[in-house]
Amino acid sequence: MSNPNYSKEKKVGEGTYAVVYLGKQLASGKSIAIKEIKTSEFKDGLDMSAIREVKYLQELDHPNVINMIDIFMAYDNLNLVLEFLPTDLEVVIKDQNVLFTPADIKAWMLMTLRGVYHVHRNFILHRDLKPNNLLISPDGIIKVADFGLARAVPGPREILTSNVVTRWYRAPELLFGAKHYTYAVDVWSIGVIFAELMLRIPYLPGQDDVNQMEVTFRALGTPTDKVWPEVSTFPGYNKLQIYPPPSRDELRKRFIAATENALTLMENMLMMNPHTRWTTAQCLECDYFRELPEPSNPADIKLSK
Amino acid sequence: MSQTQSKESSQVPDLSTDKTPPKEEVEEEEKPPYYKRITDDDLYRNSSQYRMWSYTADHLREKRSETCQRATEVVNRKLEEFVNTHQDELTEEDMKILKLKASPLTMDEELKLINFYSKKVQVIAQHLNLPTEVVATSITFFRRFYLENSVSEYDPKNLVHTTIFLACKSENYFISVDSFAKKAKSSRDAILKYEFKLLESLKFSLLNHHPYKPLHGFFLDIQTVLHGKVDLKYMGQIYDRCKKRITDALLTDVVYLYTPPQITLAILLMEDEQLVKRYLGMKFGKEETPEEGDIDSKKKDASAPDTEDTESKDKESTKKAPEDINFDKLFSVIEECKQTLKNSESVSTEEAKRVAAKNYYCQKPDILLQKLKRKKEATDLEDGEPTSKKQKLDE
Repeated sequence: MSNPNYSKEKKVGEGTYAVVYLGKQLASGKSIAIKEIKTSEFKDGLDMSAIREVKYLQELDHPNVINMIDIFMAYDNLNLVLEFLPTDLEVVIKDQNVLFTPADIKAWMLMTLRGVYHVHRNFILHRDLKPNNLLISPDGIIKVADFGLARAVPGPREILTSNVVTRWYRAPELLFGAKHYTYAVDVWSIGVIFAELMLRIPYLPGQDDVNQMEVTFRALGTPTDKVWPEVSTFPGYNKLQIYPPPSRDELRKRFIAATENALTLMENMLMMNPHTRWTTAQCLECDYFRELPEPSNPADIKLSK
Repeated sequence: MSQTQSKESSQVPDLSTDKTPPKEEVEEEEKPPYYKRITDDDLYRNSSQYRMWSYTADHLREKRSETCQRATEVVNRKLEEFVNTHQDELTEEDMKILKLKASPLTMDEELKLINFYSKKVQVIAQHLNLPTEVVATSITFFRRFYLENSVSEYDPKNLVHTTIFLACKSENYFISVDSFAKKAKSSRDAILKYEFKLLESLKFSLLNHHPYKPLHGFFLDIQTVLHGKVDLKYMGQIYDRCKKRITDALLTDVVYLYTPPQITLAILLMEDEQLVKRYLGMKFGKEETPEEGDIDSKKKDASAPDTEDTESKDKESTKKAPEDINFDKLFSVIEECKQTLKNSESVSTEEAKRVAAKNYYCQKPDILLQKLKRKKEATDLEDGEPTSKKQKLDE
């Protein structure tokens, strides 16, 4: 627990492998969060999630990625000292008292994409993007956090587990159980988050893994070999109900406040075929970010009354 | 739009299978004021490998000497304590022996032991059938641990399995500690005992940039730049040899002194100097935009049979080289790296045993004295038989 440089003041959260405390960096008086990793409970030594988190946060330095200030051992526990981030996008979306504008959404999308672009440029896949993992700093900046499921971009022949990403944000290739995938899984998640920001409710809330496919394809159309060559060779494909993709008009009706460019961005992030899905770079350069309204100044976005 | 992207994809071949950005569309586009793109070099400079584990030769020596000195002081202090507490029992001869035999390791000896055990880490990791990257990371972790710690503080044989096990986890190649222990013929406790210490000594820096990726990249790029001028089968052969050489290079200090691409080029240079010269020459403009004839006259060596067309060559060779890369400078750096690689010698088992024994006895002077006493008694019994022949110093 004790480290002469930091204080732990209040326990604010407890996850499967870590306890989070709020505290202060004593020298500067700055607020910080300490993620204490419960190492003693793992029979295989240091836990994989902890290792991943440490490994990737050590490398990433970007305004839109959570900053790891320090890391230390105390009483056989691993402590990550992180910047203090009081809220997250999930809280904001759920808070009925908060009104936000299309310009606010644009600012959040821009910051999220910039952060994830940086993650990708460092050859890292996040694999668990969701509103809950997009933390918000006191001055409104989005910070991509929680790298407990992250991994290096696989080589061409590497076999991966498709059991990643929280269900509602899981890309179709993962739903199909693909053994190889890349950056595109993260882009899909951001696309779903984008839709959720516009709707203010989860866009593809599947109840279980099977239902997730149903929900996803009902909303966005069942992929066919025409848009995604060989998709029909995935096991289980034949059991699927074939839904047509939504027309632009149907999307307009569902996302009433969205501009055409916003819909184009969303459609391209939610492209069934991971090979044609936009990259974060393509997203960042799209017209949605060049048209009015300009993204809000993050510090001006009111997150509570 | 995609100027930025095509640049990336040409440097990162792994990704090209997945996303091929529309190269053709590359057109100069108006960039916003203050537009500055973070280069791949900038990214590398921000990596923990560069920030924490890259040194100049002097700095590296200094670092080792500090670690060694710290350990020496401890060993000497303990020896002194031993002498002080056993003053009454120690004979003059004992004292002589202690002076002669019980002395801390020199920096050179430490390094020999580390190098010897690094090789062991490699052999064991390969024996466990671990993927190349895991083997590489094991070696890297082990060697970094002993930049921070002395072999007299932590016996290297106790860290071999620990580093391999952590490397497995860090490279996302999970094996449970029990099955790892079984395979490695070790125990759970022995493997986990120093895991924390290891992580701490690694300064929590776990992501390694090994030269295998640059190797892949250079091979793709060489085939593009020297399109139709290199034999693919030949390239395949040297690729495999280079890969092996990379693993060997990880056992040397070049990893602290040079960047992964520099090491890769140095290794390529060892395999085929002509090839590297031609490639870098075209890439970084040793000869200004080489003419067709120019190149043809150079491909006398067996590595470059004349095959296929050369039409794509023009497009590639006129590609602008990054402004800050100068052929001569680059070449001298990789030449220097190559020399360092060549001068790295392996440590024989005998030598390693000698140093390990010394490391042991300087910390256990009582055992040293006992042993010599016993030996002396034995020789006294055998009446002056020469003993030195089978002097065996294992622990």
